[in-house]
Amino acid sequence: MVSLDIAGMSTQDVNRKLKELIRQDDDIVVKNPHSVHNFATALKGSRTVSVEGSTGFYTGGFLQGPSIIIKGNTGLYTGDNMGAGEIIVEMNTGSNCAPSMVGGTIVVKGHSGSRAGWGMKGGNLIVCGDVGLWCGKMTLGGRIIFLGKVGKGIGESMYNGVIHVLDPDVEDKLGGNVTLISIEDKEKKAVEALFKKYNIEQGVDDFKSIVPNVSGRHEYVLFKPTHKRTEAPK
Amino acid sequence: MTENTKKVKVKDIQRGVWNPETISEIKYKAATGKHRIRGCGSTQKYPSFDDLLVLPSQLSRLSIDTYREDCRTQTVLGSRFAKNPLVIETPIMISGMSYGALSKESKTALAKSTQIVGTSINNGEGGLLPEERDNSYKQVVQITPSRMGFSLANIEAADALEVICGIGAKPGLSGHLMGSKITKEIAEFRQLPEGIDLHSHPRHGDIFGADDMVLKIQELRDVTDWKIPIFVKIAAGRVKEDVKIAAKTGVDGIVIDGSEGGTGAAPVVATAHLGIPTLPAIVQATRALEEMGLKEEISLIVSGGIKDGSDVVKAMALGADAVAIGTGTMIAMGCVVCLRCHEGKCAFGIGTQDPERRKKLDIDDAAQKVANYIQGMTYEAVLIAKAAGKTALANMEREDLRSMTLESCAMTGIPLMGTNYTFTDAFGFF
Ligand SMILES: Cc1cc2nc3c(=O)[nH]c(=O)nc-3n(C[C@H](O)[C@H](O)[C@H](O)COP(=O)(O)O)c2cc1C
Repeated sequence: MVSLDIAGMSTQDVNRKLKELIRQDDDIVVKNPHSVHNFATALKGSRTVSVEGSTGFYTGGFLQGPSIIIKGNTGLYTGDNMGAGEIIVEMNTGSNCAPSMVGGTIVVKGHSGSRAGWGMKGGNLIVCGDVGLWCGKMTLGGRIIFLGKVGKGIGESMYNGVIHVLDPDVEDKLGGNVTLISIEDKEKKAVEALFKKYNIEQGVDDFKSIVPNVSGRHEYVLFKPTHKRTEAPK
Repeated sequence: MTENTKKVKVKDIQRGVWNPETISEIKYKAATGKHRIRGCGSTQKYPSFDDLLVLPSQLSRLSIDTYREDCRTQTVLGSRFAKNPLVIETPIMISGMSYGALSKESKTALAKSTQIVGTSINNGEGGLLPEERDNSYKQVVQITPSRMGFSLANIEAADALEVICGIGAKPGLSGHLMGSKITKEIAEFRQLPEGIDLHSHPRHGDIFGADDMVLKIQELRDVTDWKIPIFVKIAAGRVKEDVKIAAKTGVDGIVIDGSEGGTGAAPVVATAHLGIPTLPAIVQATRALEEMGLKEEISLIVSGGIKDGSDVVKAMALGADAVAIGTGTMIAMGCVVCLRCHEGKCAFGIGTQDPERRKKLDIDDAAQKVANYIQGMTYEAVLIAKAAGKTALANMEREDLRSMTLESCAMTGIPLMGTNYTFTDAFGFF
């Protein structure tokens, strides 16, 4: 275990140092992160990096293997384009968590903002708290699990992948071109395994799954007419 | 009524608003309740590079021998921050056209053509085809809002990156790929279900605004270790503002795509009415970079309706470092611009995913034709540049141009032919 104090260091230096240390095959503890942006960009390897505090935007973008544990919060775009590994955020993240993620797992113990899982293509995103609007918009793959309340427009225009939700009001908040179904047994097993791995104490029976409509055409509302078709007066 | 009036047939009467095209558009909407989608981009008549003329050298300048003296065409792009800028042998690049909109055979042919002439190809939206990557001389990889088929591996295969905000054919709109082109193969490549129309994101999920883009570019620098250039592609609209913002995000180059730009599928109303053409866009982009004192640092690449060497040379005189071409390369392979790219039934095996139609394209023959086209364009550009007294294409200056019309004079700040005067904003003249 090595310790790295990054107070006052530029992002570039932080990432360079992390790459150097992880090559020495040691777990790393990062002190004084001071919400640094672009933390651990495209970091490779298989060790654990624990951060004693919060990080900024684009935490763990393009990550390729390591486990990043953030003891505080992270900013927007956590785990963008991530390919492999883990990001565990002990508190909350900003909006647009896991955008265009390809693989690996992100676990947010607190809340996340709007658009979590935007355009996700693979891997797992678990948010234990609440999320905002338009989560899982246009996902192309992967598994999203939301334990708390979800915002409107969830799953809008998904093309692939699945979103598991507990929110009892989810039916009123669905985006277009998706269907709400009860969770299948094989999906339950996968979710259970993830919960076990990440010490999340939550049963899986009450989850529902949001899946994309994969036949027919996607429908869009280009504008909302307030007028409803009426019969001509006699 | 006189005899004379009776003789005029209805079909011979000049049509204003209610011309056959307008009538057809109304009928289309009446039948479907929707806007029309079409391939190939705008059919509007825009002001073009043909509205400018190049001044030849006589006594005031000495011309360079067309056949016996050299005029350098090698082009270096993106040396602002990148350790390994993009070096190509002609300033004519092949623009990003997706595998999906185009067949695998045509993408492969385009890639092979870049080997023949020493230029770059751009993968476009929807992933990097191995056949393209393996055959390209220089590979530009797009970072599109949808990120379909995009991962770190694509970046590692790239000689330059292009973060795209929009294209001239349909600025502000997302990529379209009609269901007819989403075959099993394309569906797997893009992680899509088969046969459903794709309307991808118009915005990047990880870039919500210019401030975030500054960080994004830094992130990409970390990913690429500052080795390869990063460009941003923007559709021509508020060019001055957009270019200034793009410059501040820290990119190495800016690609401006004018409204003539081609596409595989777009709403007709968008192609015709959104954005401004390439000619005024270059002028505004050059002005913006000059105002910032960054013209020499940031590469300017322009696209949209570039068809021959005279366009290239004039674009360069106005400040472009290179041009990118799309539709022209398709025509070189056999495309007849039927405007029906979106239907996926291209008879020439170019804009189709149908296995039978794809067989129509002979890859090596098509590659040679595209290479010939680019070489021919480069010859034309060089011929004009030498006649203007230049030993390098990059030496073309706006001082070498004159406007043919009042309109182009007003738009570009290039003096009207026969004069040394211009009106509106001066463009570094006199
Ligand atoms: C068939 C086709 C597909 C295209 N696909 C993309 C794309 O995926 N991404 C992109 O940025 N531009 C795309 N474009 C636009 C081109 O990159 C370029 O901006 C345009 O073709 C330039 O104009 P030109 O066709 O008049 O040369 C496409 C154009 C065509 C014709």
